[in-house]
Amino acid sequence: MDLDTFLLSLAVIACIYMACNIGANDVANAMGTSVGSKTLTFRQAIMVAAVAEFIGAFFVGGHVSDTIRKGMLDPTVFESVPYHLIYGMISALIAAALWLHIASYLGWPVSTTHSIVGGVVGFGVIAGGMDVINWGKVGQVVLSWVVSPVMGGFFSFLVFKFISKSVFSKRTPLVHAKNLLPYMVFFVFVILSNAMVYKGLKNLHLDLSFGQALAISLIVGALAFIVAKFLAKKIPYNDSWNLQKQFHETENVFKYLQILTAFYVAFAHGSNDVANAVGPLAAVVAILKDGQVHMKVGMPTWILGLGGGFIVFGLMIWGAKVMATIGEKITEITPSRGFAAEFGAATVVLICSKMGLPISTTHTLVGSVIGVGLARGLPTLNLDIIKMIVISWLSTIPFTAGIAMVCFKTFLFFLA
Amino acid sequence: MRSILSMFAKSPFKPLASHMDKVRACVEEIKPLFDALEGRDYDAVQKTSELIVKLEHEADNIKDNIRSHMRQSIFLPVDKKDFMHLLSAQDDIADAVEDLAVLLRIKNLGVPEEIKPALHELVNHIVKTAHLGCDLIYELEALLEASFGGAEAEKVEKAAQELATAEWEADRKQFKLAQKLFALGNDLSAADLLLWNETIKKLGAVADKTEQIGKTLRIFLSQ
Repeated sequence: MDLDTFLLSLAVIACIYMACNIGANDVANAMGTSVGSKTLTFRQAIMVAAVAEFIGAFFVGGHVSDTIRKGMLDPTVFESVPYHLIYGMISALIAAALWLHIASYLGWPVSTTHSIVGGVVGFGVIAGGMDVINWGKVGQVVLSWVVSPVMGGFFSFLVFKFISKSVFSKRTPLVHAKNLLPYMVFFVFVILSNAMVYKGLKNLHLDLSFGQALAISLIVGALAFIVAKFLAKKIPYNDSWNLQKQFHETENVFKYLQILTAFYVAFAHGSNDVANAVGPLAAVVAILKDGQVHMKVGMPTWILGLGGGFIVFGLMIWGAKVMATIGEKITEITPSRGFAAEFGAATVVLICSKMGLPISTTHTLVGSVIGVGLARGLPTLNLDIIKMIVISWLSTIPFTAGIAMVCFKTFLFFLA
Repeated sequence: MRSILSMFAKSPFKPLASHMDKVRACVEEIKPLFDALEGRDYDAVQKTSELIVKLEHEADNIKDNIRSHMRQSIFLPVDKKDFMHLLSAQDDIADAVEDLAVLLRIKNLGVPEEIKPALHELVNHIVKTAHLGCDLIYELEALLEASFGGAEAEKVEKAAQELATAEWEADRKQFKLAQKLFALGNDLSAADLLLWNETIKKLGAVADKTEQIGKTLRIFLSQ
């Protein structure tokens, strides 16, 4: 086996390892609220996650990859030694995947995005010194980690306040929920389909302008609206039901919506997090092709497919175990609250993905749940999680950077 | 393995309702206690009294459990102090009923014919008032669902007012019964007078403590 084939195989294996870890580590977080509120059984959650993660990764996943691949390092430094970039990217993947693996066991809510950023920064410093890192970009990414939970919290706070005011405050909450249902469905469908078709179908070479994409998504939304309106009519309602009974039935309406937002979260997660696995691989493949470091390389469809596929594989093999334990625990979240948290979080994640900002899905979701809590939507919250997240913020980058440095040095020792 | 779901701590509102179940069970024994007393069935007084003491103890256990789970890092949709106040109010109701049970067991106390109608009226009214308090606690789940606002909040606000009125009436009935009692003069031994006076006070205490529930819930609504 020649060196190129060896390196390509190694990069593919590292990418697969990373993708599996992303699937295993994050699926429980992304789908947890749906399983906790008993909207989905854990098997259904796995199915929804598998489909949505893959679609999200495959159709929208290309955007964030650029930031991971070339946003944070100055690739020109590697022009004379392109293979060093290959070693580095493989090192970053190994370091990040290893950290995720450990964190899954410890139950730490770490971010897959932070892990890979740490890995890239780690080998970059060894390869080209401090100057090779685009610290402005890294700072921007780090800032987005603080901003995204806050945004998730703010968004979910508003979403929950809105449904609280327009449904749960009313004398006939069920009637209002039935009326509101089609509009909510419309919104989710428009955002989802717009995310998919606008710039998303790049891989299928269907380049649509924003106007065209908007038109398509509005049509999809309108169709969904009509179907939802029809289904909403079928929900039984009786004048004699008291508030308690109506609240109970209203939560059942939100169960339907939460299935949608569960899909939405998994979709957003796939689109955001696949880059963490495939970004480095795409860089490796591009260099191996002609031995040169390019400023701009495309994201081969097969790599996105590989990343999406193994995220699904990881969540099925490992994530399923985590989900099963969650399903048995009773969590204090109802479908309406789960809906508000998921809708807010997924929207923020999707917007950031589209902007090419690699943010943490897990941390955004935590922010969203706290947002619903601040809107007096949850009976109780254990805020220890915030401490855990801050610890993971502080520990992830040093750890993955350190491991990536060691791996990179090892590569140089044996291969250079 | 854990996940971010560990942030959904166990709600203290459900154990609060379970605690109220026990308090309510205590309250349900007030009438049988006085019926037995009136029927001079002192064995039954003894038994009912023991049952009340047992129920109060069970309520205490739930209370301690809730308190020990209220850690610093728990976030509630209401002020933690107010929540604890609510729990204390419920607990005070059970304590008052227990005091009542112990008082009536000190000696074989007779019920003077002259105070019977007023006593009936007071006992019935106290039990009714306590039920209003229980019902308020059972509204908490719906109140949470409505985020302490809207139509459900109005309903609770009204019920709390109703409870306040009931407590005020209880005070009046308590006063009337005291008048009847002290009108007996020398027909009653000093010991019996003392015990009956204490008993009336404790009955009033049940209503007083119940009213605290209404007051605390109104604080929840105003936040």
